[in-house]
Amino acid sequence: MRAVTQYARSLLARLTDNKVGRSMIRHGWAETNRNRSLVVFSNFFLHIHPVKVRLRAIAFSQTYYLGGLSAVTAILLTVTGLFLMFYYRPAVPQAYHDMKDLEFAVSAGIFIRNLHRWAAHAMVALVFLHMIRVFFAGAYRPPREFNWVIGVLLFVVTLLLSYTGYLLPWDQLAYWAVTVGTNMADATPVIGPKIKFLMLGGNALSENALLRFYVLHCILLPAVLYMLVAIHIWRIRKDGGILLPPASEHDYEKRSGKGYRFEAGRAVPDLEVKE
Amino acid sequence: MSESASTFAAVKGEDSQRDPVRLLVVQGEARPPVDATTEPMVMTVPHLLLRELITLLAASLALVLISLIFNAPLEEIANPEKTPNPAKAPWYFLGLQELLHYYPPVIAGVIIPTLVIFALIIVPYFDVNLKRKSLFEANSGRTMAYWWTAMILVSLLFLLSGKHPVWPIAGCVWAVALLASFGAAPKTWGALGRWSAKKSLAYWVFYWFLLTTTALTIIGTLFRGPGWSLTLPWRDGIY
Amino acid sequence: MPLLDDIGIPLDDAELNRRSFLKLLGSGALAVAALGTAVTSVEYLSPNVLFEDETRFRIRRPEEIAVGTLIALPKQRVYVMRSQEGFIAFSTVCTHLGCMTKYEPENNRIFCPCHGSQYTIEGVVTAGPAPRPLPRFELVVDKGFLVVNTRKAVSQDTILRYSA
Ligand code: HEM
Ligand code: FES
Repeated sequence: MRAVTQYARSLLARLTDNKVGRSMIRHGWAETNRNRSLVVFSNFFLHIHPVKVRLRAIAFSQTYYLGGLSAVTAILLTVTGLFLMFYYRPAVPQAYHDMKDLEFAVSAGIFIRNLHRWAAHAMVALVFLHMIRVFFAGAYRPPREFNWVIGVLLFVVTLLLSYTGYLLPWDQLAYWAVTVGTNMADATPVIGPKIKFLMLGGNALSENALLRFYVLHCILLPAVLYMLVAIHIWRIRKDGGILLPPASEHDYEKRSGKGYRFEAGRAVPDLEVKE
Repeated sequence: MSESASTFAAVKGEDSQRDPVRLLVVQGEARPPVDATTEPMVMTVPHLLLRELITLLAASLALVLISLIFNAPLEEIANPEKTPNPAKAPWYFLGLQELLHYYPPVIAGVIIPTLVIFALIIVPYFDVNLKRKSLFEANSGRTMAYWWTAMILVSLLFLLSGKHPVWPIAGCVWAVALLASFGAAPKTWGALGRWSAKKSLAYWVFYWFLLTTTALTIIGTLFRGPGWSLTLPWRDGIY
Repeated sequence: MPLLDDIGIPLDDAELNRRSFLKLLGSGALAVAALGTAVTSVEYLSPNVLFEDETRFRIRRPEEIAVGTLIALPKQRVYVMRSQEGFIAFSTVCTHLGCMTKYEPENNRIFCPCHGSQYTIEGVVTAGPAPRPLPRFELVVDKGFLVVNTRKAVSQDTILRYSA
C-alpha cells in the first residue's frame, strides 16, 4: 500500500515538475509541514481555512460536524440540481411532464430527483440542528456574534430555497402549498398585494410565477447561499476558530489513543512526518 | 494641551488626519485568540481536509441509500380548480401551517416569522448575562414568584389571543416553567434539579423556542387531516 | 518608495468647503441613482401585459337556474346562486389563504379544505379562519344571458333582482 502511494506521489511530482505544472501549483508534493501550509496558503478554496487547527476543534464530538454536513448537502444539491436542469423546462405543463419523464424515460432520472429531494429535506434539518448545537455551545456570543447573524441569514436562505424549489414540479402539492404561501405575503399590511404581484408576476399562480421561482431557485438564491457560506466559514477562522470549552490535559490524554501522542503540551500526530 | 495641565485630555494633533500615529490599542474583552494558544495543533492538510472529505462521502452514501429506497412524491398535475384535502406543505413548514389554524395570516404568516428571525438575529447582542448566571442563582424565592407570574401571563397571551386557544405553545411555556423550577431546589430533585440549576434564562427561552417549533411541527405533520381537523396517526394514518 | 496617500497636501478652507460640497453632491447623485435603479427594477419586474383568463363571461340563461340552487364554475372560479329575490355571483376562492372552496350539497354549505373555513351558500362565513365573506362580483343580464365580471367586485348586499 505504502509503495503504491509513494509511486503515485512520485509520478505526480514528475508530471507537475515542469514549467506548466509549476505555474499552476507552486509548492512541491513532498509531505512536509511547510508544503502542507503552502497547500492552504496558495489554494484559492483552501485558504478559507487556517493552516493549523486545534486538535480538539476537529473532533466529531465537538460539533457533530453539523455545519460541515450542511455545507456538504448544499454541494450535493448543487450537483444534482444541475443534473435536473438538463431535463427540466420551467413551463406549464412541460414542467410536470418533465418530472414524469425523469421518472420513466431518463436513465437514473428518478434517482437524481430523489437525491435532490431528500438532500433538500436533510439540509433543512441539518442547518437547524447546527443552529441548536451552536446555541448550546454558547458560540453565538462575542466575538462570534456576526457569524451567528450570517448563520441566521443562511437558515432563511435555506428555507427560501426549499420553498421556491417546492413549486417546480408543478403538481397539486406544489401548486397549493405555494398558493397558500403567496397569500400569506399578500396579508402583509400596505405592501402585501404588491409583494404578491411581484412574486407571482401576475394576479394568479401561473407560468410567470413558475419562471420566477425557477430563476430564484437556480440562480439567485444559490449564489447568495454560496457567498454567505464562504463568508461564514472564513469568519470562523477570523474569529479564532470554533469555540472550545476550557481544556484540561486529561482531554488530550483521552484522545491520545486515536492517532495522536501527547508530548509536553503538544499533540503530535502518530504519523511519521518527514521534514 | 496646556490649558488643563492636571488632567490628561486626548487632543487631535494638527496633522493627525494625514499622519495618524497609533499611541496605544485598548484591547476589548473579547478578542479572538488568533495567535497565541497553548492548544495542541494539527495541520489543516491533511487532518481537517480528510475529515471534510469523509463527511462528504458519508453524507453522499446515506443519501444515495435513501434515494434508492424511497421515491420523492409526485402528485397529479397542478389543477387550479381543485384543492386537495388536506393541502400540506413540506414538514418543515407545517409548524407555520399549524399556527395559521389559530391566528389570521398577518400574524401567523408575517408577524410571527419576522419576529422569530429578528429575535434570532439579536440573540448575541442581547445576551447580557455573559457569565451565564443560572436563573435561580440569587434570591430564588423572589425569582420564582417573578418567573411564574411571567410564565402564566405569557401562556394566557397564547390562550386568549388566537381564534382557538393555542394549547401547543401555552403547554410548552408551562413545561419550560416547570423544568426551570426544579433548578431552584437542586438538592430535592436529584439529577434533574442539578441539570436545571445550571441553566440561564437565555437557555430557557431557547428551550421554549425549540420545544414549541417541535411541538407545532409534529402536530401539523402527524395529527392534522382533512380540513385541518385533529386526527390520530395510529388510527387514521398520516395525511 | 512613498505611498501616495502619505503625501501631505495642505488643505485650506476653500478647498475643504469645495470637498464637502462635492461629497454632498456625489452622495446625493448616488442616492438618486440607487432610488432610480430600485424603482426601475420593481417596474421591470411588474408585468404590464398578462395573458390571464378572461374575467367577463356568460353563464346561462336566468330561467334555466331554479330558485334555491347554486352552480359552481370552478374554471372561472365563481359560484352563481339563485335565491327568492334574484341572483348573486361570488368568488370560489377562500378569503383566508386562497384555496378553492367546495360546495357540499349534502350539507348545503361551502367548505374550504385547507383550514376548514365554512360559508353559507350566500358566501357568509360561519366557521373557520376566513376573515371575510366570499366577495361578490358584478352580475348583469346581457342579451338574455347572465354575465359575470370577476374583476369587478361589488358590495356584499348586491343582488340582481329577478323574478320569472
Ligand atoms: C447553510 C447553512 C450553514 C452552513 C453550511 C454552516 C457551516 C458551518 C461550519 C462548517 C461551521 C464549523 C463548525 C461546525 O461544523 O459546527 C460553522 C460554525 C458556526 N455556525 Fe454555521 N453553517 C450554516 C448555518 C448556520 C446557522 C443557521 C447558524 C446560526 C443561526 C450558524 C452559526 C454558526 C456559528 C456561530 C458558528 C461558530 C461555531 C463555534 O464557534 O463553535 N451557522 N458553520
Ligand atoms: S384557505 Fe380556506 S381556510 Fe385557509
